[in-house]
Amino acid sequence: MKKLFYSLYKEYKVLVRDKAAMAIMFVMPMALVFLITVIQDTTFKSVNESSVPLLLVDRDHDTLALQLERALSKTRSFVIEKKDLTTGEVRELISNGEYLIGIIIPEKSSKRLRDKAGARISKLFVTDDTLQNAPVDTASLQLNLLFDPITKQSFKMSISSAVDGIVSGVEMQSMVSELNYQLKDIVPGADVDVQFDSKPLLTTVQEYATKSETTLIPNSVQHNVPAWTMFAMFFICIPLSGNIIREREDGSAFRLLTMPGSYMYVISGKILLYMIVSILQFFLMLSVGIYLLPLIGLPSLQVGDNYFTLICIALSAGLAATGFGLLVGTIANSQDQAALFGAVFVVMLAALGGVWIPTFVMPEFMKDISALSPLNWGLEAFYGVFLRGIGLVGILPHVLKLLAFFTVCMGGAYFYQVYHRMR
Amino acid sequence: MQQMMIEIIDVVKHYQNASRAAVNHLSLNIPQQSVFGLLGPNGAGKTTLISMLCGLFSPTSGKIIANGWDIAVDPNKIKQIIGVVPQEIALYPKLTAYENLLFLGHMYGIETKELKERINHNLEILGLLSNKDQQIKNFSGGMKRRINLIAGLLHHPRLLILDEPTVGVDIQSKTAILEYLKRLNKEQGMTIFYTSHHLDEAEDFCTDIAILDEGKLITKGETKQLIQENGCRNIEEVYLKITGRKFRD
Repeated sequence: MKKLFYSLYKEYKVLVRDKAAMAIMFVMPMALVFLITVIQDTTFKSVNESSVPLLLVDRDHDTLALQLERALSKTRSFVIEKKDLTTGEVRELISNGEYLIGIIIPEKSSKRLRDKAGARISKLFVTDDTLQNAPVDTASLQLNLLFDPITKQSFKMSISSAVDGIVSGVEMQSMVSELNYQLKDIVPGADVDVQFDSKPLLTTVQEYATKSETTLIPNSVQHNVPAWTMFAMFFICIPLSGNIIREREDGSAFRLLTMPGSYMYVISGKILLYMIVSILQFFLMLSVGIYLLPLIGLPSLQVGDNYFTLICIALSAGLAATGFGLLVGTIANSQDQAALFGAVFVVMLAALGGVWIPTFVMPEFMKDISALSPLNWGLEAFYGVFLRGIGLVGILPHVLKLLAFFTVCMGGAYFYQVYHRMR
Repeated sequence: MQQMMIEIIDVVKHYQNASRAAVNHLSLNIPQQSVFGLLGPNGAGKTTLISMLCGLFSPTSGKIIANGWDIAVDPNKIKQIIGVVPQEIALYPKLTAYENLLFLGHMYGIETKELKERINHNLEILGLLSNKDQQIKNFSGGMKRRINLIAGLLHHPRLLILDEPTVGVDIQSKTAILEYLKRLNKEQGMTIFYTSHHLDEAEDFCTDIAILDEGKLITKGETKQLIQENGCRNIEEVYLKITGRKFRD
């Protein structure tokens, strides 16, 4: 026990005096989570919140434009700017990326809409064949919707549907007005005023299917904090593997191997220290999400109330990362090789694991590959607790996979050391 | 009859994928309380033999007995009685001299109070007590070598293995190191197994010498006897006479 303590103490001293390693383990992940969250917040907001820039060109100056603008504002999904521009100018501004959507309401649209609605309603009340067959305005009434080419098809469809819905409402209002007018014509003096209840008869209720009572909406903070925590934990493979190779190169490992049973304590000291580092990284990153990011107007990280489960995930992820670092340090022949291989491999695992781009937006075959990354196991476990309110039993498969990864890495390092380096 | 600290019996070590054996049917006895010098050109098999003596590698064939124990069977028993001073400065540059020695002493299982006394005693003898709280990275080559030596002595080993302990040091540090080692050999009866390319130093320091070349034992004997038998003036002449002038690397 004393040997383990002194081994841990030695590793601690070596680490805290290594400024580069401290920066890699604590400063870099904080900077990354801060920057990426701020950058990605715009993307998340463009889908979730009121920030889609919309250009409205109103050449109608009548009810349709008024009601369309009011209805769009009510959705709180758009920042609406009204401008008097030609179609070419609108096209130019949208293609430049200044607006995501442009809507052009042609001249006299409201009047033509009313006329068309009136003609349809009138036909219902006219019995004369000649009038029944009278020509009506069949020229189509069009609203021009222009989209930035980067707009995703699904988003375009949802905007078109929303605008169609608003136009249908305006159409319905026009027809009801015409109906009132016609009824007054048929029954002169009668107090006829058909009221149209625009409320939908069938409504849909939307909610997130979570196991907890709180409903957390995924946002850039809820994604990035756990994602970059996992990344930071696995990035300890660089200082850890460097530490192992340095000991091998300067003869310390040789000396330690000549001491009775000591190398086991040295390795245990390393595992213990880097586990503690992982836990510190975890708390540090959570603190950034909870306290620092809200200071710049971002939402606060919601961690739920399964603290024990969170600690279990952090411990198992820390062990997996430490095991990986030990394996890299054992196999690599030089510090350069370990730093390059470790960094590239962790970046690949992070990309696959959904650190940059969440797995739910990945194509199906990539989701299958993503499930092979240990960073994905940790991330999914954190999502489970943060967003879905899952307890320890629910995330146990992810935790077990991380522990199995640690075991495989340690086994690989042991066999490589014994059957390759010492033969 | 003279007691042997180490008996090397027909040892062969052949690394995986190597074209020839690093140590080739070597038999050698190292007497207790001797200062035994193992000399040889680069690639002679000295480091491989040291690794086997420390219990890190097993011989491909043959047997090594140290203090009566078979190294292949009881490597941990051997590790209890040996001290190793590697050719490299096997210390942590960012730790102070004292922190390095405290860590290594604890790894040998020495009690803290006793360990601190031993550290201070050794630092004082080798003139480093006033530098004990400086980080190793700020030490000169000679100071590093002296700390490297102390790290191998803290647990009072009965067999001290030194792999080129005076490489790159000034004459003052070299003298301090060798005089201290001679004192330990005389006063504590410590057996010293030493390798070096400094042949004049080896001649002055060692009671017995063996010369290896390409994994094979070329000659062995008491230092003075070897010089006389070969009709040479010193060990360097013996060495060149036996191993020739051909480059080995």
